[in-house]
Amino acid sequence: MTNFRKSLQAVSLAAAAALLLAPFAAAQNSSNNERWLHVRVVSSDNKGETVRVNIPLELAEKVLPAINKDRLHNGKVTINHSEMDGVDCRALLAALKDTKDGEFVTVQAHDADVQVAKQNGYMLVHVIEKRWDEDKDSKNAKTGKSVEKSKVEVKVPMKVVEALFSAGKDELDVLAALKALSAHGDTELVSVKDEDNTVRVWLDSKNVSD
Amino acid sequence: MILAKLALGAVGTLAVATVYTFREGTIRVDVDEHRPGGSHVHFWLPAAAVPAAMHFVPDDRLQEAADQAREALPIAQIVATELEKLPDTEFVSVDGDNEHVKVSVRRGKVYVDVQDHDDDVHVAVPVSTIRDIMDDIASRQHAQ
Repeated sequence: MTNFRKSLQAVSLAAAAALLLAPFAAAQNSSNNERWLHVRVVSSDNKGETVRVNIPLELAEKVLPAINKDRLHNGKVTINHSEMDGVDCRALLAALKDTKDGEFVTVQAHDADVQVAKQNGYMLVHVIEKRWDEDKDSKNAKTGKSVEKSKVEVKVPMKVVEALFSAGKDELDVLAALKALSAHGDTELVSVKDEDNTVRVWLDSKNVSD
Repeated sequence: MILAKLALGAVGTLAVATVYTFREGTIRVDVDEHRPGGSHVHFWLPAAAVPAAMHFVPDDRLQEAADQAREALPIAQIVATELEKLPDTEFVSVDGDNEHVKVSVRRGKVYVDVQDHDDDVHVAVPVSTIRDIMDDIASRQHAQ
């Protein structure tokens, strides 16, 4: 009888412990195939703020279709042609798909240099914004020396770009782009460096920023 | 002997009730205002008490809340459901000179920690409680 009572006590304790610990055990059971989108902004002003954001792509994929506000509906964004400055993105993409690797668009303007290229299945966009130091003698900015004000580097897998433009004529399919992105390996997506901030957006399978 | 059995029954019931209560986790709120006369609020309550307490909220109040949150409710429900599947993670962190903000999930709880030179705020809520509350509000919305 004493043995039975001891066994009963042990079983009761084990059951109570299992009940208590069940939520924690469940929380630890996560898949390792999760893809994470990371954003890091480091500000170089006197406050010196650093912002880190880590979002699982799967969560974004599930949340996005639930947001129906303004131009975003069912994971698609409606684009306004008047905002595109007459640029036919779809035709541009079609041309881009058939182009060989290498630089294919370079725009050198007074304020910025823009380079768009396709390389190893990625679309690369580099923008260097310039600031002109005034010529000390003539006080003329145009005759002064240009200084790099900010540098933006965007690297997007072509499959993601294609998925983005896979919806209707006036829509961007953000959800399809996210799905294409989640099927992709670790990659650096955006890097911005200017006088005040450094921004980095990347994708990997870790749930923490480096 | 009868007294002993009664005591054993009472202790057993208490133990089961405690296990059930703490299985759902606890909600913890700590607020400290670091200024003269600033308030200091520290409390915790069993998360299991919240869904039970929701039943005592008048229907019209809850439906009003549901109406106001009509757009955000499905999103919050999805987020709450998905959060339960995730490993321990820091979703957002802001580190400044005198300011630290952190939103994270650890061991099935959502933590919001805010520290600046004036205030310290720490809130911890089990994800399952958030989901239960969202589901409850959503069900009241459907009942309209």
